[in-house]
Amino acid sequence: MTRFTPPILGRRTLLSVGAGLGAGLALSQLTACAGPTGAAGPGTISLGLNRSLVSLDNKLNQFEAAVTVQRAVRQALTSIDQNLRPQLVLADRFELDEASGSWTVRLRDDVHYSDDTPVTVEDVATALRYYGEVNGSFIVGLFPEMPTVEPVDDRTFRLHTQRPVAVLDYLMANIHITPAAANEPVELSSGVGSGPYVVTRANGGTGEYELARNDRYWGPAPSLRNVRVRFVPEESSRVVGLRSGEIDVIDSISPDSADQLDGMRGVRIQRSPGTRINQLFFNFRKPRGHPLADPAVREALTYAIDGRALIDNVLTGSAQQAEGVVPVALEGAARTGAFTYDPRQARQRLDALGVRDLAVKIIWETGEFAADTFIMEAVQEMLSDVGVRSTLQQFEPGGDILQWRQGRRGDWDVLGNGFGNPTGLALTSLQGMYAGTPEREETRDTYQGFVYPEVAGLISDATAEADRDARNLLLTDVQQRIWDLWPCLWAFVPDAVLAHRTRMTDPALKPINSYDLASVALEG
Amino acid sequence: MSTALDTTATPSPRPSAVSARQLAASTATRRARAARLKLWIGTVCTLLVVVPIALAQLLPLPGPNDQDLGKRRLAPFTEGHLFGTDQLGRDVLSRILHGGQVSLTIGVLAVVVSGVIGIVAGAAAGYFGGWVDSVVSRLLEAQMSLPLLMMLLLVVALFDPSVPVITSVIAVAQWPEVARLTRSLVLVEREKPYVAAARMLGLHRIQILVRHILPNIIRQATLVVLLLLAQAVLLESALSYLGAGPQRPFATWGRIISDGQDYITTSWWLVTLPGLVIVLLVVGVNLIGDGLRDRSRVRRTATEGN
Repeated sequence: MTRFTPPILGRRTLLSVGAGLGAGLALSQLTACAGPTGAAGPGTISLGLNRSLVSLDNKLNQFEAAVTVQRAVRQALTSIDQNLRPQLVLADRFELDEASGSWTVRLRDDVHYSDDTPVTVEDVATALRYYGEVNGSFIVGLFPEMPTVEPVDDRTFRLHTQRPVAVLDYLMANIHITPAAANEPVELSSGVGSGPYVVTRANGGTGEYELARNDRYWGPAPSLRNVRVRFVPEESSRVVGLRSGEIDVIDSISPDSADQLDGMRGVRIQRSPGTRINQLFFNFRKPRGHPLADPAVREALTYAIDGRALIDNVLTGSAQQAEGVVPVALEGAARTGAFTYDPRQARQRLDALGVRDLAVKIIWETGEFAADTFIMEAVQEMLSDVGVRSTLQQFEPGGDILQWRQGRRGDWDVLGNGFGNPTGLALTSLQGMYAGTPEREETRDTYQGFVYPEVAGLISDATAEADRDARNLLLTDVQQRIWDLWPCLWAFVPDAVLAHRTRMTDPALKPINSYDLASVALEG
Repeated sequence: MSTALDTTATPSPRPSAVSARQLAASTATRRARAARLKLWIGTVCTLLVVVPIALAQLLPLPGPNDQDLGKRRLAPFTEGHLFGTDQLGRDVLSRILHGGQVSLTIGVLAVVVSGVIGIVAGAAAGYFGGWVDSVVSRLLEAQMSLPLLMMLLLVVALFDPSVPVITSVIAVAQWPEVARLTRSLVLVEREKPYVAAARMLGLHRIQILVRHILPNIIRQATLVVLLLLAQAVLLESALSYLGAGPQRPFATWGRIISDGQDYITTSWWLVTLPGLVIVLLVVGVNLIGDGLRDRSRVRRTATEGN
């Protein structure tokens, strides 16, 4: 009998071995994918921003986290410190001449750009001119008027304004200096700066940047060799990125995410009282006769909002209800009142004012502030409890909310909006929000149509007042007047919150929600 | 010579050499059994989701928007909340069921509209041929070459994201699949003798199409429409997840998941439970569709065999 003996290495065996080898190879690749990917290497940290950094220039684009990165490349004459005071950076002298109202500034003799060319007076003059020439600049809105430069010598110059601006040293912290020849009246994505880092790769479309240490930096050399900046819009993705070590720093996180990260190994949370105010701001472009054009109606509606519950539960104690029209931590801020929750009084007042069957439309952009959608849904329910119907319209980033805000696309009643303060001065917020004039309203450049000439006049007077005490008195008066107009349905001041990996030193988080990137180092 | 039939002999239980055991193990029987099983499982999964959604208003549940900020993110089976509560203390089960009403309404309306468009356009293309076929075929090829989700997002961005807009957009997005299948079915049918006979009898072309061809293909076409229901629900959820769903406070499944994703490590139920409901419905509807298709194949094979 013939016995069939299978070959030692038959086709079946070959196929099995091949399949096993293939699976092994594929599995090893998959295992590599499953671990943290793209983690920053030694000497490098990675920042995950919640909003896209369209450029490394702040002519149009300035939000708190952006300042951290922009300042690492381009610097200003001054900067705002931990205590919200101006510190000299590119200048070694910045003095107000009280008699003339102009400022005398002298550039440091050792400051130069990353290409070794010196910072000149012409660069400052060009920067100021170009900031004034761009349309829709947030920064220009902070200035009562843009100063002009009068050169005195090759390092010294005077800053002139038609009316004195007593806080120009604070405001100039936002004017980034670039070589005049490389500057343009548009946002600059790359180029030469005087900061501790230089741009090695920039993609404004995706919001990704790579910075490298500026070896010719005029100041103390930064510790980190490279910094990677990424735009990660989804908060959950940023949290996961931080947990896995792919990202080293995330900022502007919601209270719930901070709770998730608190106490986690390898992650530290930093908090600081903020200078940003988040508001549910009324539309001041309502025609005469509309219920919301009446301050008494606006005040009545504020009683419907249970701010304490929102702070304690939705914001988990990481914010404070506003006690004035600007955050009280700001220089010159005044406590002008408080939001009170009393739904019965809200209904009684509305009835007394003859307002029945009121319907309001609330609009906001996703990500305008932490937990924005939950706050809006909670507010909607609170308004419904006092018989006020409301509809919500949420805009995605990149949508046309700007046109809605300006009243060009549709009507609305309440806007969810945050107003950051990059100077630490109450005056800056007041100027940006409440100094609207009829002339500016013609181009819809006022803050949601808030135009009260007497308020704008008082703010202008305070800006020109060199004496600090006298200025603060004027500011207190104007803030009370604004509060009595009830511009907000509700407002709160969130803490600045930042989470970072413990492999880096604690960034000194400032109340303006930014930090000095050059002072960050890696542990060990 | 006559042969007497022996009627007293014990009759064979089957007039075939194939035993009942072999028959039960045959491919055809296995297919029929699998089709029946799919139908049963699909029906149970679908009913488990659809019945509570349909009865949401009658169930003793809090309103989907009733908030209790003091009871945020309660775990399932806590304080009478079967599925727990969300970030604003709203009952998750109630939101899922009411959200299901929005998602299912959009899904059903969308597949009905896309089914009607697809069957009419596909039947016309298949039967009339010529320029009608060219226009319909090029249109559906053009639409199928576009990335579906991108197209939906673009249209929703151009118009306000409301229930009618989203329904129309999904309906328009899904008609090519129905149209393509209907066209191919009609192409086969129109060559059959009964159509030629109807033509010889002098019936109008539209009459032949509507009264004779469509009844023969409608069953297979509606099967595809049923399968599209699951896809429509998924599309609506995807749009809501991406922020292009109906404006708040409509609780749609995609939005419930999107709102809950930030809490996945601390409050798993906010994402997992609505996700499971979507899976249950989609799997259920797909199984029903598969089961019906398999059953019709088995029957057709049996008929053709006879």
